[in-house]
Amino acid sequence: MKTWRTLTLALGLAAALSAQQFKFNLDHLAAKASDTVDLSLNGATLQFAAKFLDSKDPDESKVKKLIAGLDGIYIRTFEFKRAGEWTEADLEVIRKQLRSPEWSRIVGVKSSQDGETDEIYMRNENKKITGLAILAAEPKEITVVHIAGPVDLDSLAELGGHLGIPKVEIGKQK
Amino acid sequence: MDRLEQELKAALGRKDPPAGFAERVLREAARAPARGTALPQRNRPWPRWLAAAAAVVLCAGAGLGYRQYRGEVARQQVMQAFRIASVKVNHIQTHVREVER
Repeated sequence: MKTWRTLTLALGLAAALSAQQFKFNLDHLAAKASDTVDLSLNGATLQFAAKFLDSKDPDESKVKKLIAGLDGIYIRTFEFKRAGEWTEADLEVIRKQLRSPEWSRIVGVKSSQDGETDEIYMRNENKKITGLAILAAEPKEITVVHIAGPVDLDSLAELGGHLGIPKVEIGKQK
Repeated sequence: MDRLEQELKAALGRKDPPAGFAERVLREAARAPARGTALPQRNRPWPRWLAAAAAVVLCAGAGLGYRQYRGEVARQQVMQAFRIASVKVNHIQTHVREVER
């Protein structure tokens, strides 16, 4: 009886943990894409990797601080052979999974000239930021990034200037 | 009986041992080490505990090496993930700036 109780508890815990992971259904894009890149790093992998990040290296030191409280980073990139293989309806399927009240869009840019759509969503729970999602669509490529965990906007902005990328400022008024 | 047979018979014929042969054999046998006695140090095989210890050290070394390899792969994946995320965030920020102009 005690064993069953422990097993049930473990299964419940596992279910709760898996719920925090990448749960966007992107199968509709995978079916159309010619190439798919899937980079999934759960919390355990992030904390394991943190042990191997060099604190003396400025880039790695910054990343080490950023991943300290994260539950996971999940990235999927879909590449298409020709422009027009994905439609607005495909993006809408993703947007439906980023619904309020948990998710809210903080940035949305659409360029008809370049045929690009870029959106950033924040996940809030109990007035705390618990996740970030990036949807970046180009004519031949769609990338979905999900950072699970308490993402600090300032820390995210500090990503710029590191990793060889110019500094960016998000959510800050000029 | 030809000549060859005669020579063979002479060569292989029974002969008595020289005088004192038996005594010499017994004396040499008494001087040889008895079966089961210790071998010289350099001919002794490794003791079992040393072989087991060596196996443990080898396994531990292999385990540490594998852990290091996994860690390095995880480190590279994390850096790659942040690189992609940063590129996208920067790209979006550039678009936002363009729209604001």
